[in-house]
Amino acid sequence: MSVVKQEGFEPLIVAFCCNWCSYAGADLAGTSRMSYPSNVRIVRVPCSSRVNPSFIIRAFQRGADGVIVAGCHPGDCHYHSGNFFSRRRFTVLKQMLEFMGIEPERFQVRWISGSEGAKFASVMAGITQDVKSLGPNRKLRDVR
Amino acid sequence: MREYSEKMQKIASDALEKKEVSLVIGWRKKDFWWQSPVAFVDDAAQARQLVWDPFTVNNPIKYLLDQDCHEKTGVFVKGCDSRGINRLLQDRRLERDRVVLYGVPCDGKVDAAKLKKAFPGQKIKQVAAAGDQLSVTVDGGDESVPAKEYLLDKCQSCRYPNPVVYDRLAWEEVAPRQVSEESRFSRVADLEQIDVDERFAYWSRQFERCIRCFACRNVCPACNCVTCIFDQAEPRWLGKASDMGDTLNYQMIRAFHVAGRCFECGECERICPAGIPLLDLHRKIIKDLNGYYGEYDAGLNPEDNPPLGIYRGEDPAGFDES
Repeated sequence: MSVVKQEGFEPLIVAFCCNWCSYAGADLAGTSRMSYPSNVRIVRVPCSSRVNPSFIIRAFQRGADGVIVAGCHPGDCHYHSGNFFSRRRFTVLKQMLEFMGIEPERFQVRWISGSEGAKFASVMAGITQDVKSLGPNRKLRDVR
Repeated sequence: MREYSEKMQKIASDALEKKEVSLVIGWRKKDFWWQSPVAFVDDAAQARQLVWDPFTVNNPIKYLLDQDCHEKTGVFVKGCDSRGINRLLQDRRLERDRVVLYGVPCDGKVDAAKLKKAFPGQKIKQVAAAGDQLSVTVDGGDESVPAKEYLLDKCQSCRYPNPVVYDRLAWEEVAPRQVSEESRFSRVADLEQIDVDERFAYWSRQFERCIRCFACRNVCPACNCVTCIFDQAEPRWLGKASDMGDTLNYQMIRAFHVAGRCFECGECERICPAGIPLLDLHRKIIKDLNGYYGEYDAGLNPEDNPPLGIYRGEDPAGFDES
């Protein structure tokens, strides 16, 4: 195992943002000139329920230190009910990751609407800070 | 036990003779005392190889998916196997009118490893059930031990010993065992108590033994996809090297894919050559689903929607919803 320097550690956060709300929220944060950490890499998905649990685990395996799924608030889904399914699915997945020994802060799910640019910026700053204090993800990472 | 075996043999030979079915799936005895694998009988004369003994634990229903050449197949189902039938029906992987189910109420199967441990240094030759006792033949003669203490773990916490779906019962039903919620989820609750890093250390110790033989997937009645994502070459979801990240990926995704559909038959844990307590992972998911979205027992009604396939507007969430 190589020694990973803790000093100046900049985490890599993968954010799966739903096209209709959270991605628009990110856009609003940008056009409103709010700043949020550049550690966050956004992946645009049509709906939070498009996010397959494999995406999340695969992201951790391939180098992500934290993963966040952001979608519309329940009831606001562009596809009527997608985020209701996500809510059940990610509730189970989050508890399971925690049960397997992955720190709960590493995987987060939040509802961010298209008008919540400030919330987008603060949530992204929050998860970056959380993961920064946890240090790099070594548990799920592919060692090769 | 002999009379039970004879009942099974009669059912099978009658059905094959009358051409009600062209194949019967049951169990037979193999070379060693602890081996009672699944048997396929397509000729009435061969029906006498069918047995019912303390080791007929293998779930035969997964083999139904490979029996398309048979117009109608008869299959013996224990309580757990019958819930697997409901699983396949619910997943639209089986046509109900192409199977004939012979229900065999079961009072638990014996764990050969526990028996071997109880007779150290002695060579067991034969094990037979006699009421609630096991008659174990060793070099020194016959010894009688209480069967209850040597049951498989999954049988000790079995709540449905009688088939929940069948066309005819081979013999009378047995009394269901009382299993408390605490004992069912006790190992999960113990693990939930400990610190997150210790828990990771615990699971790492378990999963570093995993050789990714996929036996847990192959035996699982809920893992019945025509093409499994772990076998897919493009996109490849799972690396091929022996690597902890990949093993955890496999085990977590496998458990997640049966979330809300697993009915705790415990075959994954029984079949595991490395003895990994896989059922704990499934029970954790069941415990969470029950807690958040209401009690649900999978494999009882093929018309149900599994809990991850439905929603209610007022569902609670296990994450920050603010």
